[in-house]
Amino acid sequence: MKQDYLKKKKILLVDDEQEILYMVQGILAHEGYLNTRTAGTVREAMAAWKEWKPELVLLDVMLPDGDGFEFLEAARAFSDIPVLFLSARGEDEDRFRGLGLGADDYLVKPFLPKELLLRMTGILRRCYKEEEKEDLLRLAACALDFQRAEVVKGEHRIALTAKEYALLQVLARNAGRIVTIDMLCEAVWGDNPFGYENSLMAHIRRIREKIEENPSKPVSLITIKGLGYKLKVKE
Amino acid sequence: MNSVLKLIRRFFGILVLSLVFGIVLNVGLWIAYISKNQNSILNGEKGPWSRAEMISAELQQEGENYVLSENGLQLLKEAGAWVQLIENGSGKVVWSSANLPQEIPDAYTYAEMASAVRGYVKDYPTVSVGKGADVLLIGYPKNAYWKHMSPMFDYQIIARFPTFLLLFCAGNLLFVILVYAVSVSGVLKAVKPIIEGIRQLPENHQVYVKETGLLSQIAVSINQAAGQLRSQEYVLKKKETARANWIAGVSHDIRTPLSMVMGYAGQLEEDEELSKENKRKAHVIRLQSLRMKNLINDLNLASKLEYQVQPLHSGKINAVAFLRKMAVDFLNLDGEDKYPVEWATKEQVSAVFIRGDEELLKRAVSNLICNAQVHNPKGCIITLEVKQIQEMCCLAVSDDGVGVTEEVLSAIQKKPHYMVCDSQVKEQSHGLGLLIVRQIAQAHGGRVELSHAPQGGFRAEIFLPLLPEKES
Repeated sequence: MKQDYLKKKKILLVDDEQEILYMVQGILAHEGYLNTRTAGTVREAMAAWKEWKPELVLLDVMLPDGDGFEFLEAARAFSDIPVLFLSARGEDEDRFRGLGLGADDYLVKPFLPKELLLRMTGILRRCYKEEEKEDLLRLAACALDFQRAEVVKGEHRIALTAKEYALLQVLARNAGRIVTIDMLCEAVWGDNPFGYENSLMAHIRRIREKIEENPSKPVSLITIKGLGYKLKVKE
Repeated sequence: MNSVLKLIRRFFGILVLSLVFGIVLNVGLWIAYISKNQNSILNGEKGPWSRAEMISAELQQEGENYVLSENGLQLLKEAGAWVQLIENGSGKVVWSSANLPQEIPDAYTYAEMASAVRGYVKDYPTVSVGKGADVLLIGYPKNAYWKHMSPMFDYQIIARFPTFLLLFCAGNLLFVILVYAVSVSGVLKAVKPIIEGIRQLPENHQVYVKETGLLSQIAVSINQAAGQLRSQEYVLKKKETARANWIAGVSHDIRTPLSMVMGYAGQLEEDEELSKENKRKAHVIRLQSLRMKNLINDLNLASKLEYQVQPLHSGKINAVAFLRKMAVDFLNLDGEDKYPVEWATKEQVSAVFIRGDEELLKRAVSNLICNAQVHNPKGCIITLEVKQIQEMCCLAVSDDGVGVTEEVLSAIQKKPHYMVCDSQVKEQSHGLGLLIVRQIAQAHGGRVELSHAPQGGFRAEIFLPLLPEKES
């Protein structure tokens, strides 16, 4: 499996509810994340962070000897490992505070095990990217080489312009998902990207000429009328 | 300040009106008085001078004697007057009426004659008329008339009289206005803080009016009213905050146990060793706990919006980009393609700016999209549209699903929700989804309109005020 290396990561679970710790540990173990430890207090969590050096922390906010926000603030002084808040406090202020302190995500209880796993994997993949051997991004009629900003079509290599590259990067990051016109314009023209719809269409047409077999019948870069575009990649 | 100006205008209007009416009244009374006493004051038909002329005409010489006709006697009797005819040259009285008082002389020197012609004879006011070369002297009763002895005026004074009269009137008018202004400004000075205090009272309960001067008692009452409002507001706010906190607290406390229900149910649902029936039960438990989770979240938000303790993190939003993002997020999640989204915003509408809390507005729109899904389990086309209608931005969510009957639509629009119901009405609304949409719209100064969609389903429109042009 491509993501097997992520399952070896050391994950610290911090919550004052023993039953929650037990359950989350079970959920993670079921998915193959076996390298986990638990802490029920700020003191225990700080000790584990310093000695065991986890690679991801799932952190509750309300702990018996302090709160998760202060703990993260203190821990950020010596480590910048990813943190996912897992808390019953779901107010906007709490979420903003948690994310503002540098947490990578904030999940409000109650949560579905699947959602927790997806968010956690997402963080791990983003933070420990260098270990993932990324190949070319394969499309129906070609492949994209982002390192060299080129489209690889059989023997041929076609260079991408800066704007085409920026658009394809956003589309590739969200491969299989629709990306709005506004997001694409923002990626190319920066803030306040209004009135660039026609220019965007022109760039999309040029990209299609480079990546599609038949640009008038696109199969990789699909238009979703009025909303945006979707890049379909080969599994 | 407006009311003070109005007050001044009203006072001034009354003053001017009363001045005009006063002048008209005086002139009218004067005319009436003059016309009533025309005969005595002026030289009217029965005035002293005319009467003298008539008597003179009634006196006839017959030989050596003079005879006053019956008519002449009647005129004398009416006025209670006496008559003397004074001979030219000698000053002797050649004829006199029978009713001549004893003290009246029967001969006049020139000096006495001059005095008699100008004014009085022995305090009897007299009038003289020429009778040939002689003089007819008519004496009226002592208190009948007052005579001005020296009726002679400087011609310049008379020539300047109209100017003087005008200046006199203007001077008087100015004086009256000055007196009015001084007195009114005193009253206004006392009234102004009172009016200002009353004006501010509905919005600012911290109002304090200085309790001195003419209207100090009213100032005391205003301060008492402000104090009372402050304490009522404090109590109300405290109650509402306590209620919202209570709901928030309960929501918080339920979340941790619910995590375990949802977590274990989710695990059981995917357990390969579990029987099909038990997996189904685990699925039901997970779905119901998810429903409870949503209910808790909704209840918490609805109570906070209702009691106005939900902070608004407002920012500038392009409603077109915002709704397009919502549509795409929704499509990206809808793996089964059961609910295709149609984007109905006109192509030329690329930016409509509003000010709002993006998270809350997301919640409102996703509630509407979820409603369309929940009520159309077999799937439907969801249409999203952004429109600009006058000074409002309209975010419309409609579907071509089963829709609602006229009765249900009317009930949704009219029935009070149990969260906001202040009376024991049997018919109360329960679903929190639309209530939250309405509350969020109201928190942004907007409104929600519900109707039947033209394509047959349900249509909800959120109207929000546009960002002023200078800010966009």
